Amino acid sequence: METVSILSEITIKPEAPAVPDVTYINGSQALMRALVAEGVETIFGYPGGAIMPVYDALYDFQDRINHILVRHEQGAAHAAEGYARVTGRAGVCLVTSGPGATNLVTGIADALIDSTPMVCIVGQVGKKLLGTDAFQEADVMGITMPITKWNYQITDADEVPDIISKAFYIAQSGRPGPVLIDITKSAQLELMTKPFAYECCKSIVSYRPRLIPKQEQIEVAAKLINEAKRPYLFVGHGVQIAKAEEELREFIEKTGIPVATTLLGQSTIPTNHPLYVGWLGMHGNYGTNVLTDQADVIIAIGMRFDDRVTGDASRFIKQAKVIHIEIDPSEIDKIIRTHAPVVGDAKEALKALLPLVHHNDHTVWRNEFRKFEAIEYEKITVPELSNNGGKIKMAEVIDLLSTKTKGEAILVTDVGQHQMMASRYYQFRRPNSLVTSGGMGTMGFALPAAFGAQVGAPDRQVVAIIGDGCFQMTLQELGTIVQNKQPVKAIILNNNFLGMVRQWQQLFHERRYSFVELQNPDFITIARGFGMDGQTCSQRDDLSNALDTMLAHDGPYLLEVIVEKEENVFPMVPSGAGVSQIRLS
Amino acid sequence: MTTYTICIFTENTIGLLNRITIIFTRRRINIESLTVSETERKGVSRFTIVIQHESREEVEKLVRQIRKIVEVMAVFGYLNDEIVYNEIALYKIATPLGAKSLDVETINKQYKAWVVYWGLDYVVIEKTGNNDDIFAFLEYLKQYEILEFVRSGRVAVGKTEKGLVEYLPEVEWAYYL
Repeated sequence: METVSILSEITIKPEAPAVPDVTYINGSQALMRALVAEGVETIFGYPGGAIMPVYDALYDFQDRINHILVRHEQGAAHAAEGYARVTGRAGVCLVTSGPGATNLVTGIADALIDSTPMVCIVGQVGKKLLGTDAFQEADVMGITMPITKWNYQITDADEVPDIISKAFYIAQSGRPGPVLIDITKSAQLELMTKPFAYECCKSIVSYRPRLIPKQEQIEVAAKLINEAKRPYLFVGHGVQIAKAEEELREFIEKTGIPVATTLLGQSTIPTNHPLYVGWLGMHGNYGTNVLTDQADVIIAIGMRFDDRVTGDASRFIKQAKVIHIEIDPSEIDKIIRTHAPVVGDAKEALKALLPLVHHNDHTVWRNEFRKFEAIEYEKITVPELSNNGGKIKMAEVIDLLSTKTKGEAILVTDVGQHQMMASRYYQFRRPNSLVTSGGMGTMGFALPAAFGAQVGAPDRQVVAIIGDGCFQMTLQELGTIVQNKQPVKAIILNNNFLGMVRQWQQLFHERRYSFVELQNPDFITIARGFGMDGQTCSQRDDLSNALDTMLAHDGPYLLEVIVEKEENVFPMVPSGAGVSQIRLS
Repeated sequence: MTTYTICIFTENTIGLLNRITIIFTRRRINIESLTVSETERKGVSRFTIVIQHESREEVEKLVRQIRKIVEVMAVFGYLNDEIVYNEIALYKIATPLGAKSLDVETINKQYKAWVVYWGLDYVVIEKTGNNDDIFAFLEYLKQYEILEFVRSGRVAVGKTEKGLVEYLPEVEWAYYL
């Protein structure tokens, strides 16, 4: 928000420090030094009236901190999320008060539900103006209280070092999440009354996430695992957050337990691993859903039994003994009754379990999954990947992309049919390779998040898969991508529909297509207008070349693929049904 | 419906009341009464929140979610028989000339209540006790003209022999001492 008013310029005159011969720094400079001390290299932000002193201080820190000017604060939030998801470190946003802060809200809520570490630093009107309806004043503390892991208002420059170190500690430890720091303009301008000193926060009296699980809990869990005849492992996002991919691989290879992931758990283990059986949930695989009814022991690691996974939770895994390994104790028993809770970090829990579990291979049980896989392959995969003479299908694009990138790319997806198709057909080979908005289902997430992911992982190929509806929610971030010369590749799967809503209207509302058809702009002309290359592909014969051109292009590239208009995503567990009622057509 | 008393020990910071009550709002649980005060430890506040709920399981989930707030140190959910609890009430009764005179003996001996202020033509009576005691006395007073009646939230301590220090070890409190 660029407008600067006279009101927001009114600030408290800094008082002279007690010892005049020592130079004290102001709150803004302290903030910059704190960020450098915390190891922050990148900030996604947008300046405005109430954050101007911080931007003034930033001017002198350009050699140490890479500030990226986005086009809309929501873009900053999603870019910070993308950055955090691939690096494991907190993404940092810097925006102004009022509308600058409220524009962050969607991204903050998204980060909370998908456990993404983020530190948002938000300007606020001067201390004396607080509560007076000053220009660009909004109660950002009140607004963000329910959607942050922690928030705090700094009104005194002396608080800056301690609060910033606390913010990063809280955002990145335990179950990660977004933290918001609201800093008044007066605190940004006034001088500290003591010399700047920074110490990284290591603990907080009232906040003690348990990392090492209790040995009793581990023993109970190990006993259940060793006695299980048909054990089944669910892997959530928590395993990648804990960087426990290697421990997970050792654990499953020793125990021979089949593994399914949640949407956000995908890419934790390679999709070609013999123990990987697919993913869970509404549009997950056939066998992975149906066989939840036949497992005798479920081991759930770092996941929260979202309703998109459980279907009707009152009918989900009723027959099984449940081991829930989870760092957040409030998730235990929240949705599913647990027989053996293990509160702790996924990595530590797997390490502790490994010596206690027996070698096994569960061949007969694992083969059950293969039977369902064969049915799904024949009924869904083959028809979706074969040329039926019509338009290109989403599945074909993802399948070809997967082959061409050898499953090594970071896939960033938006929300809807293309998201489900990307998850179904991309053959992940490396961990941390799917960045998507899971819990919040935020349309418009992919483009800015792909940008943030590319900044965080410059050595990896980042491909955004975006629907035509989603793209139009945050397309201005093309400007950010071009200005920062990030080689993000974006594929729009264009069916001229809000496809997932249309699918529901077709299946559950007698084809009463209510406001789901879009009159789209010429996306390639838009990209060119931003200075980005691109092309449209509508013929199947051109698809392979178009993907090659995109992947080989030096710099960002937009590929629009015109796909089948009324394609549906199957398998599908209808909303409110039990997972065994999954539909194949 | 069962009555639960939720005791929450927190750091004394601005906005914490809001952060705690948001969790009740999200779960659509009505707060019957709420009392906040500083504990025997400087900088540590104690919230006593009374709710009514059908499901013990839901109350347990609520307790765990409150515990998740960064500034919250400990949370306990109690049933009535696990605590010693009390409330205080003030009754302002009109005593104009010629009105029925107050039976101070009954008020003192039977209801354990005390007149704490004499105005020109009214008195203020104070009574402590549980909900039932306070309303029984209110019933009794209905024979007079009641000008105002106010009741505090519940305060409660657990019946275990442990003190605060047992579940929040002294070493962790160095910061506050």
